[in-house]
Amino acid sequence: MSLWTQFGSWTAATLRSSRMEREMDEEMRFHIEARAADLAKEGLTPQAALRQARLEFGGIETAKGDCRDAVGVSFLETLLQDVRHGIRAMVRTPAFTATAIVVLALGIGANTAIFSVVDAVLLRPLAYRDSGRLVTILMNGDGPVAPANYIDWRDQSQSFTSMGAADYWSPNLTGVDSPEHIAGLKVTQSLFPMLGIEPMLGRLFVEGEDKDGADREVILSYRLWQRRFSSDRTVLGKPIVLDGNAYIVVGVMPQGFQFAPFWATKSELWVPNALGSRLHNRGGNSLRIFARMKDGVSLQQARAEIASVTGRLEQQYPGTNRNVVVTSLKEKVVGPIETPLLVLLGAVAFVLLITCANVAHMLLARAASRQKEVALRAALGARRGRIIRQFLTESILLGGLGGVAGLVLAVGATRALIAMSPANIPRVQTVSIDFRAALFLFSATILTSVGFGLAPALQASAVNVNDTLKEGGRGASEGFRRSRLRSLLVVSEFALALMLLVGAGLMIRTFAALENVDPGFNPHNVVSMIVSVAGSKEAEAGHREVFYRQLIERVQSLPGVQAAGGINHLPLAGDLWGWPFLIEGRPKPRPGESPIAVYRMVTPGYFKSMQLPLVRGRDLTEADNETAPGVVVINEQAAKQYWPGEDPIGKRICFGDDTTNPTAWLTIIGIAKDAKQDSWTDKATPEAYLAAFQNHDYLGDSGTEASNHMSYITLVARTAGDPATAAAAMKEAAWSFDRNLAISQVVTMDGVVAEANAQPRFEMLLLTIFAAVALVLASVGIYGVISYSASRRTHEIGVRMSLGASRSDVLVLVMRQGVWLAVAGSVIGIAGALVISRLMAKLLYGVQPTDPATFAAMAVALGAVALVACYVPARRAMQINPTAALRCE
Amino acid sequence: MEKQLDLLQGTLDMLILKAISLSPLHGYGILLRIQQISKERLEIQQGSLYPALYRLEHHGWITSEWGESENNRRARYYRLTAAGKRQLQSETERWNQMSAVISGILRATPEEL
Repeated sequence: MSLWTQFGSWTAATLRSSRMEREMDEEMRFHIEARAADLAKEGLTPQAALRQARLEFGGIETAKGDCRDAVGVSFLETLLQDVRHGIRAMVRTPAFTATAIVVLALGIGANTAIFSVVDAVLLRPLAYRDSGRLVTILMNGDGPVAPANYIDWRDQSQSFTSMGAADYWSPNLTGVDSPEHIAGLKVTQSLFPMLGIEPMLGRLFVEGEDKDGADREVILSYRLWQRRFSSDRTVLGKPIVLDGNAYIVVGVMPQGFQFAPFWATKSELWVPNALGSRLHNRGGNSLRIFARMKDGVSLQQARAEIASVTGRLEQQYPGTNRNVVVTSLKEKVVGPIETPLLVLLGAVAFVLLITCANVAHMLLARAASRQKEVALRAALGARRGRIIRQFLTESILLGGLGGVAGLVLAVGATRALIAMSPANIPRVQTVSIDFRAALFLFSATILTSVGFGLAPALQASAVNVNDTLKEGGRGASEGFRRSRLRSLLVVSEFALALMLLVGAGLMIRTFAALENVDPGFNPHNVVSMIVSVAGSKEAEAGHREVFYRQLIERVQSLPGVQAAGGINHLPLAGDLWGWPFLIEGRPKPRPGESPIAVYRMVTPGYFKSMQLPLVRGRDLTEADNETAPGVVVINEQAAKQYWPGEDPIGKRICFGDDTTNPTAWLTIIGIAKDAKQDSWTDKATPEAYLAAFQNHDYLGDSGTEASNHMSYITLVARTAGDPATAAAAMKEAAWSFDRNLAISQVVTMDGVVAEANAQPRFEMLLLTIFAAVALVLASVGIYGVISYSASRRTHEIGVRMSLGASRSDVLVLVMRQGVWLAVAGSVIGIAGALVISRLMAKLLYGVQPTDPATFAAMAVALGAVALVACYVPARRAMQINPTAALRCE
Repeated sequence: MEKQLDLLQGTLDMLILKAISLSPLHGYGILLRIQQISKERLEIQQGSLYPALYRLEHHGWITSEWGESENNRRARYYRLTAAGKRQLQSETERWNQMSAVISGILRATPEEL
């Protein structure tokens, strides 16, 4: 019978139930009276016949109840009955009920909170139209693309309905009360229509606006529009000043719109990308490419086509188009965070399993004390299925209350999670307890309730009516099956707890290893900020150098500042640019095989401020100016890699291919210690520090378009005391030159380091919390089992003691059981952890997934907790007075 | 009178189906019919008859309607449906196979092994 017909039958039965009751009545009365009439014919008096007929018929109410059960009429009634009964049982044992609800709320709440994060971050499609068809095309799956390559891919491929490109651009917004450095993008006209999101106000860019000269338009994000333009609708059509140029506002995007999703995620404005003269550039990689696949084209097909297009182009232009990777946009956004989140989800599911086991314990213990009640009901004719159903109703009721409390907890936990989550988790701001999370909570509650309620229900219902009632509920011996089930629960709790402990232990080791990483520089008491001159009078060619020098001098002279310097991009926090170079006296390398180095531009004072030591050679000085010969400092890795067995100092290198220009050749004057560049766990890669005051682009007097790219400097200062105080003084110092300077990203190096390690810290913190909860629950579980079984064995212990067993014998007797459970659980746990730790290998650093020390330490810790948990009841058993124990029987 | 036998679990449904396959009957009539055919050797818990009838009706194997009894009282008559006929047939086959197998086992002598 299908569920549906059953349901239909219930409803129909409920509707016609009064008629059914009447008919049932009549039918049974007819039966009894007909039987009585027959009996009367055999010679009984009418009264005797009626009594005899009733007796033969048996319990009318039982028969009616069975009839109702047969057609399902009583489903709702029985449910109500069971719920009433369950509530009474819960009120009778408030301590039990409260404990169970708290434990369940923790388990269910934590799971719902983590699920809501996983759902919002991993499971949901990106917030663009039909976002499953969007892809991104990048060099090596990660790096930017040259404009000419983009144009070729767009024109030579058939798999895509459209393709668009974005460049990072962070202009200064001036002309309004305070200047601000704003993150934004330059996008080709095709890009926004491809995303399928309509602007809230105004329009998107139209064809032709990404041509040179027609590109002075801007679309604002909702937040920027709110923050800087007070949500003023009349801003449409008006000009705003970006980097000193007027841009007309043509549109405002709706609230919640974010682009790009995996990089430049904080972009707040978008302007047309006029590729202009760069159209034929195959060298300057700066574009991120986005495309929408045609319907019916699979990712494999798109990849195959791009592979063949780029293969052709690589032949044509050697050294370009190598390893171009098409990735689904969603994969690109959530891929890096997938493993950590799934590990957390798994861990929190373990916590829920342990919760279930724990509540099952409690219910088993309670079921034992309810044996008499169950036996009585069974004697009165309740069937086993009926008793199981009642127990399950009770556990669902308990689980439901736990779920409601869990919901409250989940709302709070979700807020806490958002607050403490690392900034690099995409979409984390969209996390909330919504319908899907509620649905998850509901299913988790039901599954949990059945999970912890089924075993106790089955066991409770399997009573032997006669024995239980006769024994008067003394229950001297606990059934073997019941104790076996409880032991099984403890063993699985221990196994799960150990797996969580090992996971947390590995994360703690990882974090400790990360803390011990030497970044090369000393991050304590260093403060940094970006000072942008774009749009101010300091931006003028020839003036920047003077300004930068004066600014650094003034900062240096501030009280509390020990050293100050400038750099183009701060390590770990800023952008990273790789640049190929040539080494004097060596043959021109084949395309794609040029030596390459991370390219940083620094002022004298940078190394001192960061306390980044020079291993050899000298630091940059004020004397290394525009008129002096070009110099460069390289890092140890560059020296090792490109001058193996040679002394690089005094050798000359040239960035770019303008080898005939004598000023393009730079002499290596020093070797700096390797410093962390992009991420905390990077291996060292070659790096070159150029003198900013020798670089025309940087000083804005080269007259090229690139001059605006470098219209800012990252000030770095080492402070004697609190970096925050110094930061305020530094800002004032800068503004004392010009109020139009935009100052942004005021950070301490300690903060940057913490941010770089925020994700492992987050993972460590959550795993440690889960493991701690698991440890507590598991020890409560083993405590419960041992003290329960010790109390059940009071009589036995009394007998043993009166026969001469010493107190220590009793201690051993009771503890042995607990120790066996803990050992069995630990062995299974270690086996499980060996499998599971491998899954989290990606999260680990500086520690093997099978690290024996962590495994051993956690097993020992768990064992110690188990010993303590068993010792308490064992000690109590030891104190048993044999005479009293025997007498109380 | 021979000793009365307790009804084997699950056989009541089959007996009811058989009883009303001969002619439509009310509940008490079914009881009498079974007792009559079995020569009073089967003990049927009278009260358990009705849940079985409700269950069979719920499965769609029998249907019921109110009619007049022999002594002019309103009584509920049960009748086999087509599905009930098939059910009775398959149950009968199953029972015959089962009883043949079991009695075969019980008749087994050491020589046959």
